[in-house]
Amino acid sequence: MRVNPNMVPDILADLQQSQAAVNTALQEVATGKSVEVPSDNPVAAADMVQNTIETANVDQYTQNVSSMLSMVQAAGSSLGSVVTSLTQAISLGTEGANGTNNTSNLQAIASQVQGILQTVVSQANASYLGTYLFGGTENSSAPYTASSSSPSGYTYNGNNNVNSVAVGDDMNVQVNLPGSQIFSNSSTDVLGSLSSLVSALQSGNSSEIQSATSAVTTALNYVSQQQVFYGNAESQLNSQETYLQQETVNLTSQQSSLVDVNEAQAATDLSQAETANNAAEAAAAKVLPDTLLNYLVPTQ
Amino acid sequence: MIVQDRNSKLEEYLQLLRSMAFELERAMSAISVNSIQGLEDSLANQEAFSTRLVELADDLSGPVQKEPLAVRGSADDDLLQRVRAASNELQSLNRRYSALLKYSSRSVAMMVSLFSSYEGQIQEVSGPRLKLQTWSCQI
Amino acid sequence: MPDLTAMGGLNTSLLIGMQALEVSQGALNATSNNIANSNTPGYTREIPEISESPETISGGVVSGGGVSLNGLESVRDELLNLQIQQQTSAQSSADTESSALQEIQTNFSTSGNDIASAFSAFSSSLAQLSANPSSAAAQEGVITSGQNLAGAFNTTANALTTEQSAMNTQVTQTVAQINSLTQQIAQLNGQVSQLTADGQDGGTVEDQRDELVQQLSQLTGISVTQSSDGEVITTGNGTPLVMGSQSYSLQTTTGSDGMQHVLDSNGTDITTTLQGGQLGGSIQIRDQVIPSYLTQLNTLASQFASAFNAAQAKGYGSNGVAGQNFFSVPSSGAGAAAGITVSITDPSQVAGSSDGTAGSNGNVANLSAALTNALPSGQTPSQAYANLVFQVGNDASNASTQSTAIGQNLTQLTNQQSSVSGVSIDEETTNLIRYQTAYEAAARIVSTIQQLGTVTLDMGSTQSY
Repeated sequence: MRVNPNMVPDILADLQQSQAAVNTALQEVATGKSVEVPSDNPVAAADMVQNTIETANVDQYTQNVSSMLSMVQAAGSSLGSVVTSLTQAISLGTEGANGTNNTSNLQAIASQVQGILQTVVSQANASYLGTYLFGGTENSSAPYTASSSSPSGYTYNGNNNVNSVAVGDDMNVQVNLPGSQIFSNSSTDVLGSLSSLVSALQSGNSSEIQSATSAVTTALNYVSQQQVFYGNAESQLNSQETYLQQETVNLTSQQSSLVDVNEAQAATDLSQAETANNAAEAAAAKVLPDTLLNYLVPTQ
Repeated sequence: MIVQDRNSKLEEYLQLLRSMAFELERAMSAISVNSIQGLEDSLANQEAFSTRLVELADDLSGPVQKEPLAVRGSADDDLLQRVRAASNELQSLNRRYSALLKYSSRSVAMMVSLFSSYEGQIQEVSGPRLKLQTWSCQI
Repeated sequence: MPDLTAMGGLNTSLLIGMQALEVSQGALNATSNNIANSNTPGYTREIPEISESPETISGGVVSGGGVSLNGLESVRDELLNLQIQQQTSAQSSADTESSALQEIQTNFSTSGNDIASAFSAFSSSLAQLSANPSSAAAQEGVITSGQNLAGAFNTTANALTTEQSAMNTQVTQTVAQINSLTQQIAQLNGQVSQLTADGQDGGTVEDQRDELVQQLSQLTGISVTQSSDGEVITTGNGTPLVMGSQSYSLQTTTGSDGMQHVLDSNGTDITTTLQGGQLGGSIQIRDQVIPSYLTQLNTLASQFASAFNAAQAKGYGSNGVAGQNFFSVPSSGAGAAAGITVSITDPSQVAGSSDGTAGSNGNVANLSAALTNALPSGQTPSQAYANLVFQVGNDASNASTQSTAIGQNLTQLTNQQSSVSGVSIDEETTNLIRYQTAYEAAARIVSTIQQLGTVTLDMGSTQSY
């Protein structure tokens, strides 16, 4: 077959293709990504849509876990203080019931217990970053306020509802118990038991003081049980934190395999493409007339 | 050691993927310049590569014992990523090659029909130049 | 008058005007002499036996060695010209589609302003609200990211309609160019006939005409034949463009869809019959590809808006008022993506609460579920969008692949055209057999490689024994 007198269009086509390869390789090295547009890898591009959304979610869930951890820890520690206060109240009540106290002693003890009640109420009104911890979902104002009409002297302004916070795609963790359940429950009324103890001490009746004190003991056991909820929430959040860390690694790794270009690989591609381009140009140089060569821009 | 074996197989697989890609380019160039010999040479290599690729693929895609990350190491993941990249590249070339083959073999089929069913009828037209020629063939 | 009866199932009959292989009078004479020689009485017997089997050559084309290919060569060259014309149209069409799709697909990359990025920001704003239901900042975050999502839909839809409009303009322009060319071609046909009738050489004029026909094939798919009155050019579907010295102009008119429709010289709408060339490619993008993308986008926008609004309605804003519509879309289904907006501005209208208190996040789970639950279409929002991204990317990739492959095929054909084989029929047929064998082998390997692709994807996924 004799030489094709129309070889020029072929060579230009070859050059254009090898130039395109150089450009692609250059872009890969510059951006570190091999999917710039969906046509680069349609399947990867589609997968990236999911990956993008999941990655953003996991980032937010991680933040949620962190802030909820702080919150449940704050609530748990408030209840810990309440347990301490109740323990104090019990020993005061025991002391008051031993029959060796005179009236003024009993008055003094009574006012100490009153002080403890006030402390417990302030614990019940604890807040974290501006949100009251024990008001249910009615948490923008103090759950317990003084009320003369209430037997315990305090009325509950919150509600009975709870929040569950999203910490995973299908995972919500309940993060609060309402005060009505913990402190002013009709079957075990913590605040009520304390104010009853105050009244009993003021009355001076030993057996009344005794039974009021054992009611506070019941209340203390109850609060300890309620504390378990927050302990459980904390460990749920902790293990979710570990899971999310792993998810982050997985998603990042997936993203890498979808779009990132291994730097060394990209550099190899680039030098191979450049070599091919140079070879094509060298071949062209041998065949093309000189004038045409002037129109070819070298890759360097 | 099992891990080493697998990695060296992956390396070979990677190299073959790249070699196959090179051969496809070579075959496409040969077709463009109508070099039947060039095409045949490339195909011989392609046959050899594809046989080995299929063997390795069978080997490498069987269930793998879950190894702790520490043992597998990041080198394995990096290698896999390069294999995937090379595979995507080859698939892309393969699609273009397949399209070119389709068009070229259609041309050949037309030529074959022409050669096998040509029935020429020459009609002389006065004047030194034009000769109208009528022919028909089954395509 | 020779018998022109065809053999068997005739698909194509080609009346060929002899063309010179080279533009020189000497070669011209030589070629016509060859043909003249081929008309001598013994010639047809010297031509290799006609095979009744059209599929392969082995049925008996080969005869004694050294038989000249000359007669066949001229026909083969015409066949080459035909293929070059067809592939020129095909490549031009693929190029047009490829350019349009390259433009379109930039709107679907994860650039930060695209729908995927917007969905992900919206999703995480809801997760943040879950942990901070009464925070005005968190509520604002939902509104802002909702507005960005609506904006991303708007932008993407507008980009599609803009490209559609560009294709529409191209249709008008291309038709004008086609008409200009057909008029010129007809005129040149007239000149050629006149020169022939006068006994003169019309070669130069023919070459000019052929160059214009080549240009025409870039604009639209054509079919070129010779009649006793001269050259006939029609569209691929048979609409006349040129008949000898007469040209037939196409017209454009605005259709009921607001787009430019192409009519033949009788006023018949031929838009859907046009394939190949810039015209065919533009019409394909304008009338098939883009509407398909828009439909998917509109469906997603309107279904998602409905789902989210329904979730709003299940809860309360932090102001205690029952949740209102968050998104608003145009009342008719069309244009949902272009017209979707956020209809609330007050942060307290974000319906995160399930009991009317500001501190409740009980409805946030419902809001998030609108993003993760299946829509009436059967897919979740992210699945639906991911599928669209895949489709756009795949279409763009295919158009580009086609364009390159056809380009290589064209190179091959023009190389064949430019070379003179000068070999015998024996050698030519042997080559053709070699090609067929090679292509069969190649096809098997293509198929193997394709299967390897799937297998390779699964490698490295670890499963325990």
